[in-house]
Amino acid sequence: MGLLRYTIYRLLQAIPVLIGISIITFVLANLAPGDPVRLMLQGQQADEELIRTIEQRYGLDQPLHVRYWNYMTGLVQGDLGYSIHRRRPVSDLMLERAGPTLLLVLSAYLFAIVTAIPLGIIAAKRRNEPTDHISRIVALIGVSTPSFWIGIMLIIVFAVRLGVLPSAGLVYPWQPPEAAGHGSYLEHWTETIRHLILPMIALGTLQMATLMRVERTQMIESLQEEYVKLARAYGVPERTILRKHAFRSAQLPIITIIGLNLSTALGGAVLVETVFAINGIGRLFVEAIQQLDYQLIMGITMVLGFMFVVGVVITDISYAYIDPRVTYGERE
Amino acid sequence: MATTESQLDDQEPGAAEGGSVDEEVETRVGWRYTLAKVKRDATARIGLYIVAFVIFIAAFAAIDSNLSRLTFDTMSDYTAAQAIPFFDHPTRIPPPGEAHPNEPPVFVDGGSLSHPLGTDPQGRDYFTRIIYGSQVSVSVGLASTAIGLIGGTIIGSIAGYYGGWIDDLLMRSVETVYAIPPLVLIIVFTVFISGGSPDIQYAVIGVGIAFIPVFARIIRSRVLSVREMDYIEAARAAGVKDRNIIRRHVIPNSFAPVMVYATLQIGVTILIVAGLSFLGYGAQPPTPDWGEMLRIAHGRYMHSNIWLSIWPGLAILVTIMGFNLFGDGLQDALDPRIEN
Repeated sequence: MGLLRYTIYRLLQAIPVLIGISIITFVLANLAPGDPVRLMLQGQQADEELIRTIEQRYGLDQPLHVRYWNYMTGLVQGDLGYSIHRRRPVSDLMLERAGPTLLLVLSAYLFAIVTAIPLGIIAAKRRNEPTDHISRIVALIGVSTPSFWIGIMLIIVFAVRLGVLPSAGLVYPWQPPEAAGHGSYLEHWTETIRHLILPMIALGTLQMATLMRVERTQMIESLQEEYVKLARAYGVPERTILRKHAFRSAQLPIITIIGLNLSTALGGAVLVETVFAINGIGRLFVEAIQQLDYQLIMGITMVLGFMFVVGVVITDISYAYIDPRVTYGERE
Repeated sequence: MATTESQLDDQEPGAAEGGSVDEEVETRVGWRYTLAKVKRDATARIGLYIVAFVIFIAAFAAIDSNLSRLTFDTMSDYTAAQAIPFFDHPTRIPPPGEAHPNEPPVFVDGGSLSHPLGTDPQGRDYFTRIIYGSQVSVSVGLASTAIGLIGGTIIGSIAGYYGGWIDDLLMRSVETVYAIPPLVLIIVFTVFISGGSPDIQYAVIGVGIAFIPVFARIIRSRVLSVREMDYIEAARAAGVKDRNIIRRHVIPNSFAPVMVYATLQIGVTILIVAGLSFLGYGAQPPTPDWGEMLRIAHGRYMHSNIWLSIWPGLAILVTIMGFNLFGDGLQDALDPRIEN
């Protein structure tokens, strides 16, 4: 199978999973004991007439399969539904909040990759030396600490005690500086980075720790490969071996891990956005849950699941492009 | 740990019955061998000690108080003094209406030995609450991992054993669950199942279900090789029912990697449930749960009462680290590729 065909094949394979996600969210949302409108109007005067009007208006009086069909036909046309609670289309609400989350998740990944790969290599090179042990302890603490607690601790140290970094919110680089009250772009972007540092570390630590562990084992394994031994025997300098021979083959699993961890990162964003009061998708989700805003909850779950599936497909495909040894279309 | 060990013991007759002596030598998954190796490994030993310590504390807290604490019951009757006889501090529950200050821990100005870690905003001893938190975390970790383990084992072994469309159907549906970020899926599940009033038991089920996919995948990949074994063929030829083959031969012989994963998974589970409680969808007040305590600390006391944020987080960190160290040690012991 050629690369193009493999790409198409992987994309087609993702379709049943996407349909599955829609079924799960739909079933969960409709499994609730109370009916959505009543739950939504919790605390307010629930007028029977009003409830029926709302149900009719949004087609909630129709049977489940009809509603699912309507939802799906909307979905394939890019319509994620309409939030009754906020009286706005779900896609609009999500687009508004997508920027901060993307900024946060991408910078967390950047932080993780930039720190994890050199540390992992050093640990592998100095295996069983103190450097290795320290980096293993750091990785262990990293995978064992809740991201939100790291966030809280960072706020306490850097915002409350030292007062050097802001504790809440983000400054959006895509906005004009005037909107944030900044004189120049330099000031604006400096503020962006200053606001980003703490949440980035809070969200990125888990990723960093995971990547570092994988990088270390991969490097250890590839340093034991025959071709590395051969290169050593030829007298190739150790540094060149590390950079040219061992490094490249060790990076492939890293790509897979990054793709698979997208799910954890997006989940972590919910927590980190809550700690740092960042108005992203994660916080929108928490608000939607609090308000029992069914359409919005379904929309967010769908999109997050979709992002994960697309992320995995992209990593699979890029894997196939990078590594000539990968045979496409083979089932595990 | 108690559960893990009894499960390990249960496996032994099963593995022997499977008649897989060759296999056992080959992959070196004998439980005695594993445990001996774990005991020799320093990090695994530290992990084991931490896990044992946390479980001891949790069990201790459970034995000490009335049985309602074991179930995830509310703890409205809960006071500091009755909690732990060892650390019998004078109860300071002020009468309603009277302000009860947030006492700092002993090493901060204004702190006293009667509340070594200070008190929470309701005047409850923080140390006691941290101790009780272990109970919630450990039982939640074990219970939801058990759900994931059992569900995953059933689905994974059926999918792997039968193959074909059954495999496709089961694994595709399981992958679908896997695609939604666990935290998001669990919150949606918890909130909707409970009809808008989430509590810890819904969270436990939700977490368990969310982690069925990973267990199913691991066990399936093992089953794929086990089902080709001669003894399975022999059982089939002898006319043993599929159900019994899966139960008696396939599962026991595919179980080792899953157990390792389960140990590591307990840590992940505790992490997720802490996150859930932090957002308010796990344990509900007044249950002393570490995540819940952090939620209250973050809400209003992050700036004024720092210690409220520190202790629960440290407790989570130590507990999860214990399970991770132990799981890593198990993994090293079971992985024939890593040789020290």
